[in-house]
Amino acid sequence: MAGTAYKIQEHKYDIVVVGAGGAGLRATMGLAATGLSTACITKVFPTRSHTVAAQGGISAALGNMGHDDWRFHFYDTVKGGDWLGDQDAIEYMCKHAPAAVIELEHYGVPFSRTDEGRIYQRPFGGMTTDFGKGVAQRTCAAADRTGHAILHTLYQQALKHDAQFFIEYFALDLIFDNEGACRGVMALDLNEGTLHLFRAHGVVIATGGYGRAYFSCTSAHTCTGDGGGLALRAGLALQDMEFVQFHPTGIYGAGCLITEGVRGEGGFLTNSKGERFMERYAPNAKDLASRDVVSRAMTIEIREGRGVGEHHDHIYLNLQHLGADTLHEKLPGISESARIFAGVDVTKQPIPVLPTVHYNMGGIPTNYHGEVVRKVGNDPDRIVEGLYSIGEAACVSVHGGNRLGSNSLLDLVVFGRAVAQRCAETIRPDTPHKPLPASACDEALTRLDRLRNAKGSLPTAQIRLNMQRTMQADAAVFRTEKTLQEGCVKMDAIFQSFDDVHVSDRSLVWNSDLIETYELNNLLYNAVATIHSAEQRHESRGAHAREDYPERDDVNWMKHTLVSVDANGKCSFDYRPVHSHTLTSDVEPVPPKKRVY
Amino acid sequence: MAEFSLPKNSRIQPGKHYPAKEGAKRTRTFHIYRWDPDTSDNPRMDTYEVDLASCGPMVLDALLKIKNEVDPTLTLRRSCREGICGSCAMNIDGTNTLACICAIEDCKAGDVKIHPLPHMPVVKDLVPDLTHFYAQHASIKPWLQTTTPPPPDRERLQSKQDRAKLDGLYECILCACCSTACPSYWWNADRYLGPAILLQAYRWIVDSRDEATGERLDALEDPFKLYRCHTIMNCTRTCPKGLNPAKAIAEIKKLLVERRS
Amino acid sequence: MSQFRTPRKIALGLGSARHGVHHFLVQRITAIALLLLGLWFVWFVLRLPGLDHAGAHALLAEPCNALLMGLFVVAAFWHAQLGLQVVVEDYVHTHGWQLVLQVGIRLLCFLGAAAGVLAVLRIALGR
Repeated sequence: MAGTAYKIQEHKYDIVVVGAGGAGLRATMGLAATGLSTACITKVFPTRSHTVAAQGGISAALGNMGHDDWRFHFYDTVKGGDWLGDQDAIEYMCKHAPAAVIELEHYGVPFSRTDEGRIYQRPFGGMTTDFGKGVAQRTCAAADRTGHAILHTLYQQALKHDAQFFIEYFALDLIFDNEGACRGVMALDLNEGTLHLFRAHGVVIATGGYGRAYFSCTSAHTCTGDGGGLALRAGLALQDMEFVQFHPTGIYGAGCLITEGVRGEGGFLTNSKGERFMERYAPNAKDLASRDVVSRAMTIEIREGRGVGEHHDHIYLNLQHLGADTLHEKLPGISESARIFAGVDVTKQPIPVLPTVHYNMGGIPTNYHGEVVRKVGNDPDRIVEGLYSIGEAACVSVHGGNRLGSNSLLDLVVFGRAVAQRCAETIRPDTPHKPLPASACDEALTRLDRLRNAKGSLPTAQIRLNMQRTMQADAAVFRTEKTLQEGCVKMDAIFQSFDDVHVSDRSLVWNSDLIETYELNNLLYNAVATIHSAEQRHESRGAHAREDYPERDDVNWMKHTLVSVDANGKCSFDYRPVHSHTLTSDVEPVPPKKRVY
Repeated sequence: MAEFSLPKNSRIQPGKHYPAKEGAKRTRTFHIYRWDPDTSDNPRMDTYEVDLASCGPMVLDALLKIKNEVDPTLTLRRSCREGICGSCAMNIDGTNTLACICAIEDCKAGDVKIHPLPHMPVVKDLVPDLTHFYAQHASIKPWLQTTTPPPPDRERLQSKQDRAKLDGLYECILCACCSTACPSYWWNADRYLGPAILLQAYRWIVDSRDEATGERLDALEDPFKLYRCHTIMNCTRTCPKGLNPAKAIAEIKKLLVERRS
Repeated sequence: MSQFRTPRKIALGLGSARHGVHHFLVQRITAIALLLLGLWFVWFVLRLPGLDHAGAHALLAEPCNALLMGLFVVAAFWHAQLGLQVVVEDYVHTHGWQLVLQVGIRLLCFLGAAAGVLAVLRIALGR
């Protein structure tokens, strides 16, 4: 069947956004409002994107519930990221946070309220006042369904601005011109099985994370790192892929998320002795230490035999003492989740929880405008023309080695807005499209033809399971040279085994077997990049905890990892300096120091 | 006229049978609606025996186990697997619900029967075409409408009591379980907005910040858009999120009467 | 059903008719009226077996009974028309049939109500 001529429908837009989660929608509606012709391609209907599952809230130093300042938020984010975050970008994000949240309220997000009618804010892990001294109430919440409230509101705003959506279109490959500028994307329409070439002056990748590279994660089935796959296949490098956040409180077994807001509202963790063990690991912040700290503490407790349950392999999250009224008003969603997935009545029993893969700090490297950058010679910040990335798919890097809870929803809206503004500044509406090189689509079509007719011996699901089990075992909360090296060997073999993939569904319409195979390919690129990046970083920083290198090493490793993956899964590395300067003189850079909570 | 029987090419035929692997400990049988638009075949019911000993607790787990291990061509939408995205809405044992939060052991005794959402055009297998449903949602202008500009540097104020009025409304996930459970929507989906969209409409009508209440009520005052609701209550009964669309519709009707007297 | 029309165009249809409250209200008012009048009607019918034609005639001719019977007839036909209208709207989707049935139902119900009222008047007014 090779060489089959595929009919391609061509579309021309100023900008194409890939992904319709929080970041993609914010960018899409922002772009639509500027008058640039914008298309948003999404593999699921916008409100099905995984932003919908975010629970706890969105951080912004509004000071509605007490003294606060965006500089404190800046400090917390730098410290939370273990000094791997770019401080110019962090300043940009924290400074623009209050305006971004107020803008969301003006769009109609149903935030919970205080008695004064202002936006309700709750404490969250790692969020402090006066540079670490007090506990900040900074996380703006709509009960425990903040992501749902924000995603639906952004979709509504996109409707208001008549944004053009291509729903259930799957992005296959990026299209570049001869100068190396991104000029569009090839996509498959699931509903009709037809191919579409979206030509544009810029492509915004907002495809989210790749949690599904792991066996147990809080992420949706659709979190398959498609953006990372697109970028790596285009020869671009990803950044800081070794930093994978484990959320302390995924429901034991099911993996569904229980928000950190539970601990923000006063919930706490206990081990089999009924002890509040976080007091030992983080004497000040206790259960509200940052996520990497709590996840490690829980893992140590379990490892030392103090886990709960029949197999002593998980931890209890207690919230019975909060009372039915608080639970009903502030945490109704997790009460429902705990009942459905753990069979627990939260007013009477603790929830069994376990650290679970939750967020990828790494991704496509960008500056604070959302423009994708690559290292060329001595220039670590060379812009890739026509390519932008935002949200979890990107690594700006505002989260550094570890993201603070409620900073991700903020990341989405701040940089979604930034990228829209940047495009409005740099692209003139209706600029004519230059012709593409004749071979621009060849690679995408060859790959489609190969996968559609793949007749190997391994079904997609089998390869996926092999990958997930390997990542779960060998790139976990704690990592050592031995397991990482074993993991690298195994992952390389699994990556190779994709050549032997078998696709059973030969149909055109809604061929989900084919789409899952594409997704698996993207996951494999991300997974290989992650485990090899983890193997080569010889220090412990943020979420990357090496037992053989337990200390942070600022002399040798205060730098971003850049990883490229070739078609055979071979990784090569380079580094970018961390931006330790701030954007303006409004705030002083935070010099590195020991990170204690 | 409304059709009360299926057209010939929609009648369901018996399909293939996939027995459980040898050594299965605890099997449960699933009958699943299959239809492939690429062939001219009628829809069929395929039968799969699943070993629950090696399967997660939810119906979605069983469907994905089938897709991963037995038949990769089985087609369904799924994403969050925790009941918040609304992708995996389908009809399980005669009730519309989300497969991801529907426990297998809570299904009626005997075999589990799974169909796509009723009375919607089927794209393939368990995937219905929701285009019209989404267009209806867009048609009610589901966004905050105001003429008073918001305060430039702070949020609009809203009392706790006014915010509480949105509870039970803003949580809707647009899964379409309620609308596709409504006989009135079955017969008149082209003109009746259906419970999900009316609940969304009411969410904006009662939002204390919205200033288009009158226009919103005007747009709903229509024998078909609103008044096709005959208080059948299937919507409330089936809502997987425990919301009450029937009450929201009743509130709209009450407001329409109220502004007359 | 698309025929090159956008989904939004189909969803918007001809827009809102800006009526329906009146129908809703009258249907409920006539329902309540029928509930109350129904009690009287049951009482009235239960008295009939013991009476001959002249007795029944005289009973209905009493001003109070005549008034209630008139109201009962009007409310019943009005309510029936409104209800049947909804049934036709629900299930009949061809324009021609819609028109024929809706007009037919209205005429028949009006005819029934008018005939009923005339009959009661004749009895009440003694000829």
